Amino acid sequence: MMALPQFFDLQGYGHLLMEGAAITVGVGIAAMAVSLVLGMLGALARLSERRWLRRTGAVYTTVVRGVPELVLMLIVYYGGTVLLQKLLSLSGGDIRVDIDAFLAGTIVLGFVYGAYATEIFRGAFLAIPQGQIDAGQAYAMSPGQIFFRIKLPQAWRLAIPGLGNLWLTLLKATSITSVIGLTELARQSDLIKSPTHKPFTTFFLASLLYLAMTALSDLLRLRAERWASAGFRRS
Amino acid sequence: MKFVRFLAVVFAVAALAGAAQADKRKLIVATEGAYPPYNFVDADGSLQGFDVDFAKALCEKLNADCDIIKQDWDGMIPGLIAKKYDLIVASMGILPEREEKIDFSIPYYQSPTALVANKSAGITAGADGFVDPESLAGKKVGVQRATAYETFARQKWPKVEVVVYDSSESADLDMTAGRIDARFDDFIVLQNGILKSDSAADYARVGNIWAEKDFGSKGEGIGVRKGEEDLRDAVSKAILDMRADGSYQKIDAKYFDFDIYGE
Repeated sequence: MMALPQFFDLQGYGHLLMEGAAITVGVGIAAMAVSLVLGMLGALARLSERRWLRRTGAVYTTVVRGVPELVLMLIVYYGGTVLLQKLLSLSGGDIRVDIDAFLAGTIVLGFVYGAYATEIFRGAFLAIPQGQIDAGQAYAMSPGQIFFRIKLPQAWRLAIPGLGNLWLTLLKATSITSVIGLTELARQSDLIKSPTHKPFTTFFLASLLYLAMTALSDLLRLRAERWASAGFRRS
Repeated sequence: MKFVRFLAVVFAVAALAGAAQADKRKLIVATEGAYPPYNFVDADGSLQGFDVDFAKALCEKLNADCDIIKQDWDGMIPGLIAKKYDLIVASMGILPEREEKIDFSIPYYQSPTALVANKSAGITAGADGFVDPESLAGKKVGVQRATAYETFARQKWPKVEVVVYDSSESADLDMTAGRIDARFDDFIVLQNGILKSDSAADYARVGNIWAEKDFGSKGEGIGVRKGEEDLRDAVSKAILDMRADGSYQKIDAKYFDFDIYGE
């Protein structure tokens, strides 16, 4: 116990680990927001009555869930930059395009996890008994009213366990943003392990930080579940 | 929060031609930051090491304003091609696979290789300054499995009993346990391993240091995008200038007790 503060200090490198953790949380939250929006839109598209929307949604979830995040990350960040450069330099001259790594990481992770969120929301919407929707129609509710009053409140309740799981996966997947130059927790640990000559301690501390984040997330998920099922509790 | 930073900086082609040195050229240099003593981060997060000091001196010679940035090793070459930066100074070996994607300057250093032996083993240097193969006869030399060191040892020292290990750490441990007489490896690895251990006093380097070219490799070069021959040649010339005016040797002395240029 007595050596605990020194243990976390990591020969003066401890604060860098904290900075990495802050970036991890930042990218994680931003990407989760993007994936929730994309997931909701995707689910609506997949359940739409228009065929082209259903097709687009299906292509999105099939392709994105089928390609590793790392590959997509590299395609968007490097491929995207080169493509933009080629396009912009058609008008002549040498042009340097710089996509911010934080932004690129957020977009790619949000895009990838949006596909998983699509399936979670879709499942949630499908789980709502048809009878309730028929009842809404019988009351002459508009499709919008049915969506906001019947479907959405229940979809949240059904989707939260899946989304909580998605968040944990996404949070850990932020470590792949290190390849595009983002110095998040995993990359920061990798950098610190060599000057300190303490790989085990460094990675152990990093895993404790990840664990703290996920444990806290689980608490929040529990509260969100209670909130969303306020009108549905059985006991 | 600094969210969207999407900038397109237009570089005048004329400035790259560099005929008139009216204003300083702006260059971004990438290094890894996880390969001490060549490049690593300090406790305040700043970059340090031989590569970093070398890059700074190089920029001075090129009369350029430089930003030195950290880049993960896996994205190092793609980042250069995507123009995230202009130069790679990250102890990158000049390999044929890499030369297909990018250009390299002349080598700015060559990884050193040496033999470190137990002082009581009677291994000595020969007339050429390198280890005398005769003094190695019947001795046990530890090397890492499937490396250029193993091949070299088996070819050049037929009378040696080569003992292979999975890692340099386990070879070091066996040497301190007295099971082998000498270790043949990257000298920086040996300096940070066996020569830093508790029983370091029992061991010493025997003879000269081999350069990478003795193993058929080219050494470490500075990566430049293909098609930028002017910049590549300017870098190569700057390396030679730094050798000539002694600024290279000054940086070398700060990190190593031998000349890593490998002449």
